[in-house]
Amino acid sequence: MIRHLFKLIWNRKRSNFLLMSEIFFCFLVLFAVLSLAFFNIRNYSKPIGFEHENVWLLSLRPNTDSTAQNVVIQEQLLRRVRAFPEVEKASFSGTNTPFSFNSSNTQLSTEKVKNVYANIYEVQDDFSAVMKLKMQQGRWFGNQDNGSANPPIVINNKLKQQLFGEEEAVGKEISLDDTTRYKVVGVVQYFRAGSEYEADEPSYFSRIDLQKNHDRRYGSLLLRVKPGTGVAFEEKMVKELSGIAKDWTIEATTLEKMRNNKAKFTLVPIVALGLICAFLILNVALGLFGVLWYNINRRTSEIGLRRALGAPSGQIYRQFIGEVGVLTTFGLLLGVLFAIQFPLLQVFQVESEVYFLALGCAVLLIYLVTTLCALYPSRQAARIQPAVALHEE
Amino acid sequence: MLKNYLKIAWKVLLRRKFFTFISLFGISFTLMVLLVATALFDHAFGPQMPEREIDKLLFVNRIVEQGEEGHNSTGPPSYYFLNRYVKSLKTPEKVSINSVFVQVNSYVNNRKLALDLKFTDKEFWEVLDFNFLEGKPFGKQEVANADKVAVINENSRKQYFGTGEAIGKYIVVDQVKYRVIGVVEDVPVLRIHSYADVWVPITLRSQDFKNTDLKGSYLATIKAKQSSDIPKIKDEYAQMMRKVEIRNPKEVKKIFSFPDSILESFVRSFLGSGNENHVGLFYGILAGIMFLFMLLPTTNLVNLNVSRIMERSSEIGVRKAFGATSKTIIGQFIIENLFLTLLGGILGLVLSAFILNMINNSGIIVYADLGLNLRVFGWGLLICLIFGIISGVFPAYKMSRLQAVEALKGGSK
Repeated sequence: MIRHLFKLIWNRKRSNFLLMSEIFFCFLVLFAVLSLAFFNIRNYSKPIGFEHENVWLLSLRPNTDSTAQNVVIQEQLLRRVRAFPEVEKASFSGTNTPFSFNSSNTQLSTEKVKNVYANIYEVQDDFSAVMKLKMQQGRWFGNQDNGSANPPIVINNKLKQQLFGEEEAVGKEISLDDTTRYKVVGVVQYFRAGSEYEADEPSYFSRIDLQKNHDRRYGSLLLRVKPGTGVAFEEKMVKELSGIAKDWTIEATTLEKMRNNKAKFTLVPIVALGLICAFLILNVALGLFGVLWYNINRRTSEIGLRRALGAPSGQIYRQFIGEVGVLTTFGLLLGVLFAIQFPLLQVFQVESEVYFLALGCAVLLIYLVTTLCALYPSRQAARIQPAVALHEE
Repeated sequence: MLKNYLKIAWKVLLRRKFFTFISLFGISFTLMVLLVATALFDHAFGPQMPEREIDKLLFVNRIVEQGEEGHNSTGPPSYYFLNRYVKSLKTPEKVSINSVFVQVNSYVNNRKLALDLKFTDKEFWEVLDFNFLEGKPFGKQEVANADKVAVINENSRKQYFGTGEAIGKYIVVDQVKYRVIGVVEDVPVLRIHSYADVWVPITLRSQDFKNTDLKGSYLATIKAKQSSDIPKIKDEYAQMMRKVEIRNPKEVKKIFSFPDSILESFVRSFLGSGNENHVGLFYGILAGIMFLFMLLPTTNLVNLNVSRIMERSSEIGVRKAFGATSKTIIGQFIIENLFLTLLGGILGLVLSAFILNMINNSGIIVYADLGLNLRVFGWGLLICLIFGIISGVFPAYKMSRLQAVEALKGGSK
């Protein structure tokens, strides 16, 4: 039966070629969009590793170049912010705060592993309390690290895996360059600051010590406020801080707002792509339906002959569904051959699982769509009465 | 002749309504997506308020300092660089210097407004073409005195003052009190060189003027006397760049900066390292994406058309028997297909007007004013024609090859 179907398709390969190429392109589009969707869903399902509710971000921008004066003002601002009863904890941070569009990365090495790219988050001791980070191993850095020769860092699990594998990381040293060697004091499970849709990347926190590096200025101040604190406090705070830092531009926003904004940048293209993909598939499905219907109508005499020779209508029905199945298989074989290159060649640094899942779903969906398209025309074919069909000829 | 073709095409469309529906659905949705994309492109790079005379405008928005070993440092230029070098160019009609917009806060009735603030000179208002709803821009006097006056956009007026006039009232932005002297229509956020919510005199930031670094946070907008002067301005600019004094020759070996049209400046930061011009490549990539996107609906349409040839075989047979050449028949079917695509195009136009309206209202793009204007319509028509010809040629060719005898008999293999 199957061999017969292959022969039938092969005999009409020229007219079937277009249908096959259509299925092939359709599969590729579906594979691409599903890969993207699964990649994001997979990331979304992992914890981000911190709590962003009730965390605000103050951006502080001086309008003058005098570093000495600005650093003094920066410390005054931090003291004033911490003094507000509404503020629980506050920490300076580099510009790559959670949900920001900035990033900062560098290369790290150990004796065994060289040059691993990692995100670097410069934060103060209170950052852990502001973001409510959960330690997996070791501890967060604090005042006890003031005298230590090697700057203390906290790394995330991903970086630990890449540098140390299953070995213990706490207490080990990591070198940044020839002069700087970090000492790992703790490990956090996750810290995906970019957005909920971003992959888990190797990252580490380095400690801001205002006493030690007193010529550095940090533009971002993260603060955890008491629940229920609203815009009235924000206005009051910004006004008071502007009194301390004249001529500075001070801007406040909540991490929740930044999260929504960042999510929009991921979701809008995916939704747009998804809609376009859905339309393309619907378009192809309708086209396929039309073509199948038309072709089957033209084959009435063949069907009539088979019926007259005793083929039951169920067999005719199955034959046409089968033919479409074989046609789809040809198109898909070609498509899978292309798509399998992505996980094999490790294009785009995405886990292979995502590709395989997308591949499987795309194959299933295409089979489903083509079978659905074939159902009605095949039933029409099965209903043909031999007498009528043969009479026509 | 043409009239006859169209008549036949119309009758064929009516004969099999289901097939007509499938074809029209495919065509109209494909064209809709392309039209929405074109409208977005036009919105970002075409002439729009306030950058209306786009063929006469050039923008300077980045300067690259190249050190040793290809270490680049890129950013907007400083006021010093623009004022000393760019402003002294002879060919342009006018040069405006304005700051990169910064987001600042403003509080009204326990509500926060995040406003984008831009510092500009008086030329800014002469070079660009804003639609003033009330009042006027600040002039030479206000800029010279560093008066605290502001031009605000329509949305800020609504947020701050509700309905009614705003002229003469005061607005507090970033803890500074400004007197409103003009209100303009909202400028779309994609027009980064002109966009802001509040525009104030550049002299309020005079502390920046002394800084003699080449990099800073300012932009220049150059207006040519006529569009044919653009290459001359670019030449003069390139000559001027050679004379720029590098104050820290140890770290900085070379500097680059170019006056660009909007599209050029986008492409420069989007493709490559930014010192070459890749507009051609960019158009190539766009055309490639468009082609890939059209591939599927086109194959679909070709497929449908090819299947339907047989329906017309007796007609072709008769025409061939009476001496019609293959060329005439190809011509007829291409015209028929164009007719179908144009019909789909009209539907697509209606659909895209609907979608664009949705995008405008959704606020995905701040102050978006996407619309179907003549330019977009023209592009749409062109896309329709390309689509129609691509999807019509192969079926027409196949049809024209039918032998008269076989066709009359009722089809071939």
